[in-house]
Amino acid sequence: MTTSDYLNSILSSQQMKEDSDELEELRSHRKSVESLLRERFSERSPTIRYGGSQAKGTLILESYDLDIICYFPSDEVGAGATLKDIYENVREALAEDYYVESKTSALRLKSKETDGSAPSDFHIDVIPGRYTDASKADCFIYQASGEKERLKTNLDVHIKYVKESGVLDSIQLLKLWKVRHGLNLKHFVFELMIIKLLAKHSSLTLSEQLEFVWKELRDRKDPVGIEDPANPQGNDLSSILSEAWPSLKAAAEDTLKTIEVSGWSAVFGPAPAEAAQEKVRILKAAAAAVISPTKPWCPNA
Amino acid sequence: MRRAWHKAQPDALQRLKERIEQEFPELRLSVQGDVVFLKGSFPVRYGDEILDRYEIELEIPPDLGDSVPRLRETGGRIPWELDRHIIPASGEACPVVPEEWLLRPECGSILSFLRGPVRNFFISQSLVERGDPWPFGERAHGRPGLIQYYEELFQTNDPAAIVRYLECLSRDGLKGHWECPCGSRRRLRDCHIEQLRILRRRMPRLTARRALQRLNSRVTTSNARFEGHLRRQ
Repeated sequence: MTTSDYLNSILSSQQMKEDSDELEELRSHRKSVESLLRERFSERSPTIRYGGSQAKGTLILESYDLDIICYFPSDEVGAGATLKDIYENVREALAEDYYVESKTSALRLKSKETDGSAPSDFHIDVIPGRYTDASKADCFIYQASGEKERLKTNLDVHIKYVKESGVLDSIQLLKLWKVRHGLNLKHFVFELMIIKLLAKHSSLTLSEQLEFVWKELRDRKDPVGIEDPANPQGNDLSSILSEAWPSLKAAAEDTLKTIEVSGWSAVFGPAPAEAAQEKVRILKAAAAAVISPTKPWCPNA
Repeated sequence: MRRAWHKAQPDALQRLKERIEQEFPELRLSVQGDVVFLKGSFPVRYGDEILDRYEIELEIPPDLGDSVPRLRETGGRIPWELDRHIIPASGEACPVVPEEWLLRPECGSILSFLRGPVRNFFISQSLVERGDPWPFGERAHGRPGLIQYYEELFQTNDPAAIVRYLECLSRDGLKGHWECPCGSRRRLRDCHIEQLRILRRRMPRLTARRALQRLNSRVTTSNARFEGHLRRQ
């Protein structure tokens, strides 16, 4: 198997398939969330749609969250006079069916049913906000912590920026790498960093792109400068990246050494097909070692 | 009616609980009246490695040793299909022909049942799920599967002889002047008496009678040869 085939097989194993249980569950929750919000804010015309990695095409199975945005028209005050009111009212609506955890801008949905342990996490964030004007492009979202109480953003600009970067495969594999190394950095900031680093290198092969990013991380003393394409002046992301930079550098250095010594499969694990074959081989060995085999039967013909 | 095994031997239940906690810590034991249940995650082990896991419920009958525990896969992973050896109406799994297990000396041991037929069943399911054939083979559904088993046990492919063997084993003692069940028309003492003695040690009279009943109850018109013979008994 070539490096390219190997990386593509890893990539393929991280896609959420159309008929997968995970996607079915997410869709079912989205339906339920949308119905709760539309019922509660029926006269407020909210825009409800997918955001985050699902909308950008960078979702990986290993670690995914579904972002659902709920934005109200700029002149609509019925959902809440202030952004904080909107955030709280949306939270209240969702709390009918979910245990809701407040995050900086998002509302994290968890199960209300618990068996005494922590509520199970549905991996769904609902992000309330209000459009800045009638064009329904830019939007303000509430910030529960931090210096500012609101942040201007634009979902379509984010989606376009990532989707048109030409390096979606690298983003997904590097997200997998980040997750497996336990690197603490917001996915969105990480994506922007990768796009910036690969801005003039999208013609490289997938393995070359990954190695290029890791070499840049290893060799650059200071973090690469990034900016939020939807709000270049108002959303400073540099401090977030600076904080994570030392751990990114260390992990990148380790990974490059690993590739040199043990090859790519030591970075992302065995290819799924190989792993499946290995599983069958071990199961067959376990069956061959059985001293008293038994044949299954059924009483009804 | 006999008392349920765990009521007659509370120590045995306690011992089972301790052994289960040691060997299968993800299985929980509970008692509901005369029935003992084991529920939870069953590991398919090979050496120290856990190859797979299945959510199961094992219903241990009051007459343990005379009846086979009832197994169900509760995680919804195995379809309720005869071809996967799950009874569609009840979801009950059929890891083994009951008499095949009940004739084994360890038939009264739940741990042996888990290590043997249950483990074998799930190793097989994991392989079949991946498109492989049944590693230990499989029995035909219904009565033909029972007959297959008795053919192997009695080393005959004559259904009438199978019934005669079971009849012979259902009686008290073995008499040398009886006609040999193999169909040779010779006396038992001149034919298969040694085989019958060995079989008698493995198959108590009660088990042989139950096996005969089971075969009788499963007779359908689809096997007239067998049915005709049973009617003549």
